Amino acid sequence: MEKHFRRATNSLEGIFAFLQEFASAEGLDESVTYVMNLVVEELFTNMVKHSPGGAAEIPISLTREGRKLVMRLVDRDVDEFDITRAKKASTDLPLEQRKPGGLGLHLIKHMVDEIDYQYKDNSSVITIIKELKG
Amino acid sequence: MFDIRKADDGSIILAGRFDASQVATAQALFDTVAGSATVDFTALEYISSAGLGVLLGAHKRLSETGGKLKLRGMKKLVRDVFRYSRLDTIFEIVDT
Repeated sequence: MEKHFRRATNSLEGIFAFLQEFASAEGLDESVTYVMNLVVEELFTNMVKHSPGGAAEIPISLTREGRKLVMRLVDRDVDEFDITRAKKASTDLPLEQRKPGGLGLHLIKHMVDEIDYQYKDNSSVITIIKELKG
Repeated sequence: MFDIRKADDGSIILAGRFDASQVATAQALFDTVAGSATVDFTALEYISSAGLGVLLGAHKRLSETGGKLKLRGMKKLVRDVFRYSRLDTIFEIVDT
């Protein structure tokens, strides 16, 4: 399934409906559905926040390939930003040194099995794979 | 759907989905908290880093004057998010 969403935070409601439709069609369990929601929200909101001048719409595709859930977002007309090389969040700091924000990519890395980043023709293509257990 | 409200006992009740589109709503309520408060997660189904950021910001502000947020009643998947981000070492989290 693929659908395009306007580059705005208020697209999230429609995105979650799209994700739920896919989860129901594929019979994904609650845990995998949570991961899918979090991955797509974090990546999408990063694109909204950090590349406001990018293409008006962001395509999101979801596919199931055997025992793998494949999530892909394409950010067009943007500068390169390789999320696999992003600075690590400092999660070991005491309260007074911790800052709100910056946890999205950290969470994704904990919850998924593969993260791939490609940059070509001014487009970032992020592909995330979550292995389906059971 | 997301809902946030103050209960009669002063605790803050979260319900539904706390995602990036709800930050302003949640921030407005947490800005009214002084001292310490308990945040009830019993009816919260989902939280992302945006929600964590609001809670961490409020907790830091309150800690500057000796207060804190205490979190209770998290479902397993929500608690996992706190564990992965190591915010379970920052907040006091109780089951009920």
